[in-house]
Amino acid sequence: MIEFPLLLIAYFSTLGLVFTYFALRDKDLIKAIIFSTIQSISYALIYGTLLAPDILLVYLAVGFGIYPILLLYAVSKTRRYEKK
Amino acid sequence: MSLTNILLIYIYFIIFATGGLAIYGIISKNNLIKKIIALTIFGDVVNSLIIFIGYRLVPKPLPPILPSLNPDKALYKLYVMSSVDPLPQALVITAIVINVAVIAFLVFLVVRIYNSYGSIEYDELIRIDRGGST
Repeated sequence: MIEFPLLLIAYFSTLGLVFTYFALRDKDLIKAIIFSTIQSISYALIYGTLLAPDILLVYLAVGFGIYPILLLYAVSKTRRYEKK
Repeated sequence: MSLTNILLIYIYFIIFATGGLAIYGIISKNNLIKKIIALTIFGDVVNSLIIFIGYRLVPKPLPPILPSLNPDKALYKLYVMSSVDPLPQALVITAIVINVAVIAFLVFLVVRIYNSYGSIEYDELIRIDRGGST
């Protein structure tokens, strides 16, 4: 079964593309941060499917913890909505 | 064309499309926090392409971990024949840590810019820099 991991990677990368589009389109920055977090989780699962379990663990902590906390800190100190 | 080739072409197409969308976000979005979000997405895309180089298209690939403390010759042969390449994974771990440091620096730079100029929109910052007002 060479195809099964490739099918999983195709599914997760499509999910990442869709949520990238949502994250770039949304004017509400907190919603955009949540969408980019879902995209990070799908890419972490791609790393796990490509048999890199250490990167899966590191990237779950980074993409689900550090990036959203930093970006939410920046939003809390500045504005929530994008102009235009 | 076999299913494997079709899937590989599809995966590369989708990942490059995500990278193109992220570059579009970095260049053309007006909000600085939106630019940082697009930068994190672009980092993901580049890291997944690097790991994809080391993946091995054999029927049962193994993670790059020796399963025994005193392996014999057959185990070494199995490991060499079907384990994925550990070098791109080590490089990507380093890249992720550097990415976290860069994103933290950019976030605090954005907060500092907002405290100094009162805006995080790129065109307003250009206008303030040229001597106008908000």
